[in-house]
Amino acid sequence: MLYALMGLGLSLITGVLNIPNFAHGALFAVGAYFLVSLVNFAGNFWLGLLVAPLGVALLGLLIEYAGIRRLYAAGHDYQLLFTFGLALILNELIIVIWGPVGISQLPPAILRGGVDLGFTFYPKYRLFVMLMAGLLVLLTWLFLEKTKYGAIMRAGIENKEMVSLLGIDIHRLFTVAFALGAFLAGIAGALTAPIRGLSPGMGVDMLGIAFVVVALGGLGNLLGAIAAGLLIGVAQAVVAAYWTEASTAVIFAVMALVLLVRPQGMFGIR
Amino acid sequence: MQRRDILKAGAAAATLGFPAIIRAQQKEVVILGLWDQTGAFADVGPLNDRGMRMALEERDMKILGRPVKYVTRDGATQAGTSTRRAEEAIDGEGARFMIGPWSSGVALAVSEVAKRKKVLHLFSGGTEDISGSRCHRYSFQWAASPYTAAKTVVDNFMKANPKAKRWHLLVADYAFGWSVEKYIKEVGKSHGIEFVGADRHPLGEREFSNYVQKAAANRPDAVAMINFGGDAVAGAREIFNFGLTPKVPLIMAWSSGVEELIQLSPEIRENLWVGTNFYYTADTPVAKKFVANYRAKFKTPPGYAPSAAYSMTRLLLAGFDKAKSVEVQDVIKALEGIEVNDLLGPMRVDGATHQTLRPYFFLRCKPKKAMKEELDLADLIATGDAPLPKEYASCKDIGGF
Repeated sequence: MLYALMGLGLSLITGVLNIPNFAHGALFAVGAYFLVSLVNFAGNFWLGLLVAPLGVALLGLLIEYAGIRRLYAAGHDYQLLFTFGLALILNELIIVIWGPVGISQLPPAILRGGVDLGFTFYPKYRLFVMLMAGLLVLLTWLFLEKTKYGAIMRAGIENKEMVSLLGIDIHRLFTVAFALGAFLAGIAGALTAPIRGLSPGMGVDMLGIAFVVVALGGLGNLLGAIAAGLLIGVAQAVVAAYWTEASTAVIFAVMALVLLVRPQGMFGIR
Repeated sequence: MQRRDILKAGAAAATLGFPAIIRAQQKEVVILGLWDQTGAFADVGPLNDRGMRMALEERDMKILGRPVKYVTRDGATQAGTSTRRAEEAIDGEGARFMIGPWSSGVALAVSEVAKRKKVLHLFSGGTEDISGSRCHRYSFQWAASPYTAAKTVVDNFMKANPKAKRWHLLVADYAFGWSVEKYIKEVGKSHGIEFVGADRHPLGEREFSNYVQKAAANRPDAVAMINFGGDAVAGAREIFNFGLTPKVPLIMAWSSGVEELIQLSPEIRENLWVGTNFYYTADTPVAKKFVANYRAKFKTPPGYAPSAAYSMTRLLLAGFDKAKSVEVQDVIKALEGIEVNDLLGPMRVDGATHQTLRPYFFLRCKPKKAMKEELDLADLIATGDAPLPKEYASCKDIGGF
């Protein structure tokens, strides 16, 4: 579900803005670090979980408004270099602010330990993350499918010129899409912190997986990103149960297989 | 002034100045620190570098009156990159002495370069092959033998937990993991330990839920991890998240010590037992001085990584002193059988295998309420120095130069 959340955010940005956001992993990491700082400051995990992704969304808004917006006319190479450079800067900033050594964040007391599900033993916090991520994916999907602004956003993915011609402020649409994508990356990072801990390079692994999800689902295809995120997660869990050593390799094996059969991704048209 | 006087004055000046010129022209001794700045051990390389630099700076970057030129290369935690960059430093910079890298699997490849290029090579890691089946005259092993480590950990853990007879192992799938696993199983036999599961994971693994799920299903009395750095931290965190620790004791058989432990919350460290090549409360004069200097410089106490680099460099410098030479073969001969009272206390290099015989440390982490300060992480409960029994030794002939 976390993969779906990351993939959905990245797919939204890739679809609407038509740029590959290499800073998506760094935004994921920033979400986790924001959470830890907020928990340390306020002593409340839930408050941190609520505020940290909003902080990342605000950061995303600034990045789009102050940086990416100036590069829409410059072409893909510049946008790619900008997001790539941004990822490096954010990564170094994390080291400067929070240090190079990894940090652990405990789950809230109520979600510590595991539960016996009968057929397996599973941590309570992971179950909570599954539910939360599922709920967030559902809410995002409802926003995109059932609200007017969601429809505009989907229309923006299909045909930007037409949306612009209809009198809709396309620049604002880009800003909102980037901020929403950043929010999803931030909350995925915050939710992941107690599971994987924090380290400056934590975004890099997740970025790779997010790109796999986007490529698998089809570029800019939001439903595809959700389906691909779930497929990758399930494939990883199933393989891990029988052949733990291959649990990481399976992510890329699935991608290679799908792209061999459907080069445009599972649901992609381009 | 006559022409003859000028010549005399010139000759006198030349005589006085000549030794100084000779001294200035004495060739520098180039020592290579092959420390990863990228790849799986990117976080460890800078710490190795700190330790090595401190040992050299203690000597004012000089040995036997010659200047030491310390060069470093990033091996990227990969055999191909490490060997290529080591060769470049040997051929390009004139490095004749080399310390590192950190990964056992990579070090085995670098050791072959040392042999081919006739360069003295010091290494610290968990593979037994450098002082075992692939031993040769140019490479030395600083870390305890995997047997010494396994014996120290298993014996002392069982002494404290005699009923914990069902163990589940999580093993890093490369040279170091295989070596330590072999001896943990071997030593475990004498305690009647049943290994209910042993899963191997790749180096750099961060998603341990699947491994821990299997471990939990086996309902072990203890879980032992034979992995290192980020892998060990991620594994310990997941074992806690599953609710295994603190109910089930967790053993980190070959830990970096401080560097890993400070990444874990005190709650995760509860009922955590740790085997390590160095712990900063080691009660030796060299360790006390080193720890004080390191803390003054970098705030945190040193863990295994900087300490190993520091102690290996000191061992190399002791070799120069004993040999009274900077020739590779002379220093190798001097290191063979050398005995020093250094960072870990008494240390001796076995001339027949190039294995350093030294103590291994076993710690028990403190519960949060027992910690006096943030870095009061563990009690040093035992040390062990049982050498590898002859029947296991696979370095039959160290060979010639």
